[in-house]
Amino acid sequence: MPPPLTRRDFLARSGMGMATLGLADLQAAKPHFAPKAKRVIHFFLNGGPSHVDTFDPKPALARYAGKPVPSHRITERKTGAAFPSPFKFQRYGQSGIEVSELFEKTAAHIDDIAVIRSMQAQVPNHEPSLMLMNCGDSIQARPSMGAWLTYGLGSANENLPGFIAMCPGGMPIKSAENWQAAFLPGAFQGTYVDSKHEAVDRLIENIRSPHADTSVQLRQLELLRRINAAHKAERSDPRLEARIQSFELAFRMQMDAADAFDVSQEPEQIRKLYGEGVHARQTLIARRLLERGVRMVQLWHGAGQPWDNHNDIETNHRNLAAQIDQPIAALLHDLKQRGMLEDTLVIWGGEFGRTPTVELAGGKSKLGRDHNHYGFSVWMAGGGIKGGTVHGSTDEFGFAAQDNPTSVHDLHATILHLMGLNHEELTYRYAGRDFRLTDVYGEVITPIVA
Amino acid sequence: MLVSTSLLSAEHWAFQPLKPGKEQSIDEFIQKKLAKHGLQASPRADARTLARRASFDLTGLQPERTDVPYEPFVDQLLASPHYGEQWARHWLDVARYSDTKGYVYAREEKNWVHATPYRDWIVRALNEDMPYDRFLLLQIAADQVVPPKSPDLVAMGFLTLGRRFLGVTHDIIDDRIDVVTRGTLGLTVACARCHDHKFDPIPTRDYYALYGVFQSSAEALVPATGAENAELTALVKKNRDLMTKRREEQMARTRSRAADYSKAVTELEKYPEQGFDQIIDEKDLNPFIVHRWKAWVEKHPGVELTEERLKQSDSPAFVPDEHIANIEMYFPTGVTTELWKSQGEVDRFIVKNNAAPTYATVLVDRPLPSTPRVFTRGNPLTKGAEVPRQFLSLFGNQSPFTKGSGRLELAQAIIDPRNPLTARVMVNRIWQHHFGRGLVSTPSDFGKQGSPPSHPELLDWLATEFIRSGWSIKHMHRLIMLSEAYRRTSFPTRSDGLENPSYVPHRLSFEEARDAWLAAAGRLNLRIGGRPEGLFAASNTRRTLYALVDRENVPMVMRTFDFANPDLSIPQRSETTVPQQALFGLNHPFVVQQAKALVQNAAASKSDEAKTRHIYAKLFQRSPTSDELASALAFVQTDTTPVIAASDHSKSWHYGYGAWDESTGRLKTFNPLPHFTGSAWQGDEAWPNEKLGWAQLTAEGGHPGNDRQHAVVRRWIAPADGSYDLRSTLIHEPKVGDGIRAFVSHSRLGKLRSATLLDSKAELSLASIAFQKGDTLDFIVDIGNGLNSDQFLWSAQIIAGSGGDVPSEVWDAQKDFTATPKTTLSSWEQLAQVLMLSNEFMFVD
Repeated sequence: MPPPLTRRDFLARSGMGMATLGLADLQAAKPHFAPKAKRVIHFFLNGGPSHVDTFDPKPALARYAGKPVPSHRITERKTGAAFPSPFKFQRYGQSGIEVSELFEKTAAHIDDIAVIRSMQAQVPNHEPSLMLMNCGDSIQARPSMGAWLTYGLGSANENLPGFIAMCPGGMPIKSAENWQAAFLPGAFQGTYVDSKHEAVDRLIENIRSPHADTSVQLRQLELLRRINAAHKAERSDPRLEARIQSFELAFRMQMDAADAFDVSQEPEQIRKLYGEGVHARQTLIARRLLERGVRMVQLWHGAGQPWDNHNDIETNHRNLAAQIDQPIAALLHDLKQRGMLEDTLVIWGGEFGRTPTVELAGGKSKLGRDHNHYGFSVWMAGGGIKGGTVHGSTDEFGFAAQDNPTSVHDLHATILHLMGLNHEELTYRYAGRDFRLTDVYGEVITPIVA
Repeated sequence: MLVSTSLLSAEHWAFQPLKPGKEQSIDEFIQKKLAKHGLQASPRADARTLARRASFDLTGLQPERTDVPYEPFVDQLLASPHYGEQWARHWLDVARYSDTKGYVYAREEKNWVHATPYRDWIVRALNEDMPYDRFLLLQIAADQVVPPKSPDLVAMGFLTLGRRFLGVTHDIIDDRIDVVTRGTLGLTVACARCHDHKFDPIPTRDYYALYGVFQSSAEALVPATGAENAELTALVKKNRDLMTKRREEQMARTRSRAADYSKAVTELEKYPEQGFDQIIDEKDLNPFIVHRWKAWVEKHPGVELTEERLKQSDSPAFVPDEHIANIEMYFPTGVTTELWKSQGEVDRFIVKNNAAPTYATVLVDRPLPSTPRVFTRGNPLTKGAEVPRQFLSLFGNQSPFTKGSGRLELAQAIIDPRNPLTARVMVNRIWQHHFGRGLVSTPSDFGKQGSPPSHPELLDWLATEFIRSGWSIKHMHRLIMLSEAYRRTSFPTRSDGLENPSYVPHRLSFEEARDAWLAAAGRLNLRIGGRPEGLFAASNTRRTLYALVDRENVPMVMRTFDFANPDLSIPQRSETTVPQQALFGLNHPFVVQQAKALVQNAAASKSDEAKTRHIYAKLFQRSPTSDELASALAFVQTDTTPVIAASDHSKSWHYGYGAWDESTGRLKTFNPLPHFTGSAWQGDEAWPNEKLGWAQLTAEGGHPGNDRQHAVVRRWIAPADGSYDLRSTLIHEPKVGDGIRAFVSHSRLGKLRSATLLDSKAELSLASIAFQKGDTLDFIVDIGNGLNSDQFLWSAQIIAGSGGDVPSEVWDAQKDFTATPKTTLSSWEQLAQVLMLSNEFMFVD
């Protein structure tokens, strides 16, 4: 496979300035300082994974089993007594950070991971919390982080979309609002891919012609180029050249996208590393996309809110974790062996965590947990992250952040920082204001930055 | 007097009274500036260019003819019912129009009942040249100036069609303040939600003065016609009765828990504010009521909340008699769900039923208007000073509104002719949509952060003329379009810049492009108004204005083409050029369908030349030049890609698996591969999969199954008796593993050829093979001794006609592969598609 033609190559070849592409006029397209990470992959465990069952062990819950916990808070639904984690925790790596058996394969990489145990959202409801985690505001229509990143940094490969959101089997709650461009130009919106499909034309809209093959298209494009050249000869509008180029790019995008999504090109041992199933496949596709210069890939767990385990968390969380533990571990391993982990930021988390107390229905236990925005865990690894770190904590029972409470704005500020962007300077003028991903908040979490 | 003539912030140009220069026409103003800068005006554009320009600008459609005198043509376009459709779309961008509410909890009907009537009202108002001041008045306060059941009530969709913000009042009101102030005044008042505006004289007090207006207005669903429908009337009554019952129950429930509520106000941390949704039942204290209770107690120190006092309509136990949208937080979750479902029955009847009378979601004044308090830093928990409901202080002479919510007074202040902003903002928008850029380039920000006007006197002259004409939008179109400035060629030298406003070539918006493709194909349905349809629904050949706008899921193609975000008031769309737009044009079936229809319509042409002329006329309203004609004819005549019927030859091929039997020289059993991905036949959706492992066949080759029981087999069935030649090349590439085995086997003759390959190539060809109709020829591949890197490429052609009765014909394993004909487009259709994608089609000079 020839290396994909990047936009810079293309422009160099055709002798064009960036400005002729139209979109370039609208984007900042340059980091503010040397970035530690060049690309982001975000595992979004939509529905809300339980922190006390994964990355935030709380032995006190066992002692309080069946009793109310002193740090009890109100959440969306009623919860009762302390509900000890049904999963075993164990120390991993040099750092000895405790992780539950749900993510034992991922935990093998704990020395590359910084766990933030003191995350906080604003309310215990999915919709606003999804918006906060993705777009930095619970309520208002604001651009998603991926849109800000592609606006701020451009794409390293114009033959592929700069921001891709994959979700197998349908949309998460709030659909495309999770990767919206809001007031940024529509081109910065995430490209949605239903990773349940395998054929590339079902993965990306209009990526393959159902009515003409390459030889026919080339003949058509050659004619189009001649017609447009004659038209342009009498005119001095740079948008005309931009549009002519967009067809050349589109033609290449067809090839490159098909290639990027084709995991069958991977050697068998790599496919085995990631394992079986749709999550293995979408994670492997994500790696291929990142390799080709896609700025941000978001991997959603599935349609709706799979991690929202109000009932029988033991069975449900076990099943869900089993689907992604190996792919995540494989990705960390694979990135590392390719030398990509050092400049790829890997993010893991949901829109909030879950209560350490058991959810009740009519006063009876459902063996599950309610939403919890007061304290939860998110971890990051790779580009610029100080591995083997724990930042912040929740209280003894895991109900609320205690040490170093960390807002989603702080998380966003940190991600932008690692990508070489000052979150206070990455702005876009809309409706009379210079908007930011972090609004008027956010501080970089320096203890986890290498 | 609502607006004084002396303004507070006189130093900023936009807040000063209109100061039109002494010139008396657009051209005089422009000429003056050109002369000052020593610039030459461009020459006039030719008649065809002007006709296209005028037609697209005013109606969004290409002209049917271009050989028409210009001035009468402008009048004709202004009189066209399609004028209103085009200019409605500009206004709908500002009004953040959507047919749906965005994300709502499943209990609530997602479609707005009044979106279609609002959109159609805008079209009609523009077609009728409704004075712009009345146009705004009705959209902000129709409830107070027209009689009940008036069709004009639907105009209030301007305020009510925003997102639901999950029912959070502060954000719903913020959205309304924003759409009104940026939309009509070009002022970014919403910036003052948390702190005084950083640049403009808009203190937070002003924001909350307007907040009070909207807080004192409640949403209501009302009929906008005298017509009735018995079924709907019954549904409305049923809904109303249920609401009355549930309200009374809730009020009684609250009164019975008065002591608990009085105690609860001392432990507020247990009762979250709006936006933090809790699932609560009848036994729980309602957090919303707890907060109301606290506010009441603070406002009435020392007053006892007796049972009687609690029954009064200003008490915290009282549930106002309003639409569920306003009062959903008063009830336990189960009751709210029940009430929304009941309301949903009414809504759905109106939305889905063609016989349903028109309803409007309006705002009505609440009986007890409330005095707003400033929320310090925008936080509703930190309430500051009270402010009266009133207009913005920068207009001077601020005095509290006195009639109800004050919404009517707000509307009147906005349209007061002494308020210079309203007219300036609108004439600038009209100018912008004609010339491609406004005299002020920040169309919804006329504050200090906005851009100053390139021609301030011209802007003020236009605004003055707008008001003088009785706020006639069509008068402004005429003034602009009959100017020389508008009629000049659109190619000024770059150095002219803003000094020389001339037409910026207009790139078609997504709506205009789709409409133009349909029109060129002769398929555009020009019916005006009515319910939206899915953008790419097969039957939808209506103007794109009528495509469903679901703000939660705007079709990706619309966002790709810079369609305005329906969550936000957008006075000017971004204009980007990205490859996804080209991919849509090349690969989406829509453009191809129109190309096919266009060619079909040209079929009666007597010659290829006439056919080409027909196509050019439909697309560009001109004849092709001799070069273009020659180029088009060469393209269609030297076509080297004959159309392959999608079906016939592919039917001869079958894809399966089985085990090779060396003793018989044949396959043991042919089992079809069960799953087709669109480009490969295999065992299941995933590849490899549990059912059949790595077994796969593609157009070019494939991969054998994991063991020798699972050879992959491409089978050809002879369509007729005769002699056929086989030409085939098999390639195994990677020098890994132990390679593959391959066999060509005839159902009657047995094994014809075989090979074992590892990183090598084999020609497996044979001439003059005898077939009887129905005989099969199998191309079989299985693994060597082990499974490792066994993928292969096998191109095969079977050629008939070396004798016998059948004419010469070729079956090609790759080309005939299911659903992959080389093209389904004739060369004429390919040509038409190319022309539809050309820059000339997409740009109006």
